[in-house]
Amino acid sequence: MHYAQDYTVTELMGATVARQIRNDDLVFIGIGLPLIAGVCAVSTHAPEAILIYEGGGVGARSLRIPWTIADSPTAERALAAGPLWRVMSDLQRGFVTLGIIGGAEVDRFGNVNTTVIPGENGSYTRPKIRLPGSGGANDIASCAERIVIMMRLEKGKFVERVKFITSPGYLTGPGAREMAGLRGKGPVMVVTNKCVFKFDENTKEMYLAALFPGVTVEEIREYVDWDLKVAPQLEEVEPPTEEQVKVMRTFDPLGIVLGGSKKGKIETFDDYYQKMRQSYTVARQNLQL
Amino acid sequence: MQDKRMTLKESVSAFVTDGCSFALGGLSAREPMAICYEIIRQRKRNLTLITDSSCDAAELLIAAGCISRIECAYIWIGVIGSGVNYRRAVEKGLPNFIEVEEYSNFGMAARFLAGSMGLPFMPIKTMLGTDIVRVNPRIKVIQDPYGSGPVALVPAANPDVALIHAQRADKAGNAQLWGCYVNDDIMARSAKHVILTCEEIVSTSEIRRHPNMTVIPGYCVSAVVEVPFGCHPVSFHGYYWMDIPFRREIIAASATMEGIKAWLEEWVFGVEDHAAYLKKVGRERLLALKTLEVENYQIPKIIDEEGV
Repeated sequence: MHYAQDYTVTELMGATVARQIRNDDLVFIGIGLPLIAGVCAVSTHAPEAILIYEGGGVGARSLRIPWTIADSPTAERALAAGPLWRVMSDLQRGFVTLGIIGGAEVDRFGNVNTTVIPGENGSYTRPKIRLPGSGGANDIASCAERIVIMMRLEKGKFVERVKFITSPGYLTGPGAREMAGLRGKGPVMVVTNKCVFKFDENTKEMYLAALFPGVTVEEIREYVDWDLKVAPQLEEVEPPTEEQVKVMRTFDPLGIVLGGSKKGKIETFDDYYQKMRQSYTVARQNLQL
Repeated sequence: MQDKRMTLKESVSAFVTDGCSFALGGLSAREPMAICYEIIRQRKRNLTLITDSSCDAAELLIAAGCISRIECAYIWIGVIGSGVNYRRAVEKGLPNFIEVEEYSNFGMAARFLAGSMGLPFMPIKTMLGTDIVRVNPRIKVIQDPYGSGPVALVPAANPDVALIHAQRADKAGNAQLWGCYVNDDIMARSAKHVILTCEEIVSTSEIRRHPNMTVIPGYCVSAVVEVPFGCHPVSFHGYYWMDIPFRREIIAASATMEGIKAWLEEWVFGVEDHAAYLKKVGRERLLALKTLEVENYQIPKIIDEEGV
């Protein structure tokens, strides 16, 4: 195994989340950044892990990231394909061991907001910023045994208390999930573009657990609105391997999740068509199908 | 066997009336775009959209001013874009304000499931403890009378009409679906009417060969419309690839109200029907999308060449 020398921060995020996926996990994958982590894991260290997409796909082995959660790759070489209500019932039933979700705003107890930013004079019904809503994120956060949250560390996004709890973390603190009737155990990790946070077993509060290479604790504190606690033995996040980077780039040849490389930019429809055909040829070679 | 075939124009005129509620199948992929274009073309108003999560179709219907209320879990383009038109409507009232009643995806699925089973509500174990429950008085949190603790009750959804796109169906509406079909099966069963659009109309004897593939039985369906490329620009499993450059043009046009109005003028009001739209997209482009999909995602032949 060799660590990659050339990788982006998004690829480091993807690799870090992929590493949380164990070979025996049943993983419910949310929309956005989580898409890249799932396909990376099953093509590298966790070939037996089963990915579920809420459009209804179970256990896909796709050659590119799905562009929506019901896109054709979610059923590609899958174990099962069917409806949303069926896989989400399986989630509620308790089969799912790991859920991966994104977010727009997160708080000290790992509660996630993807609904509204009301703003100073705004309200829920007439907000300053309207966001997409839960989608399946609330259901994943409510039911999966453990949860990993993936979102970029930006000013004003890591707050003492989110303005709207869309997806439950530990709500108001220890015991609150159980009181509310939630069965999943709650978030275990937040992976950002600068660091990894974990949650204290007793207080359920988010703390700084590991830094990306070259990032300092002081820098992280500037982004976090509460008095952030730091692990006594702060770790450095492991870089992605060459294999992980290769796999992620293979799966996202247009940089749709990984972000803008010039190589992936589409100029015309014909360009798109050629890049797509070429990418499947490359994917089949790289993944040795 | 009843022949329920209609044109898109006829089916929308007959079943989508001003002020009615409707459900949208698919989730970005397999969204019934052709019929949504026709709803926009017929300038339907004050519609209530009842859906789990909707992307491209909802964005355009909102921009065109067709929708006044939404019951949903998620409205956004997702992955390649955001919900610019949804945001503009909710935040600024352009082209009109929209009332939103929200749930999670499983919450909405449970609503359609209850509706499809003839039940008044469904208890579920999600959304508990969150602000979704706080702002939506129609979600009732009660103690399970059998002792498992709190449950959230969600009301059945029974939309006036469900719009579903299938791979194939017979003329009575027995519809066979392939790939991941989101909540299309229970949306269809919960609705008072279903307009079933499909890529191909096939014989009933062909349907009878593969009964396990029939996800929506004809007795739920009011109208059947054959609409090849009925989901363009989104993808449809086994038939065509997602047209990302086209979707990006819509996203770019959506940056301003004027921009998306001009786009709708050109691509929806400016064409007579879906056939004219497809002609404008271009035969070569559509064939390229078909090639990409069929090279990679074919519906397997269930019977051999001899038809045994």
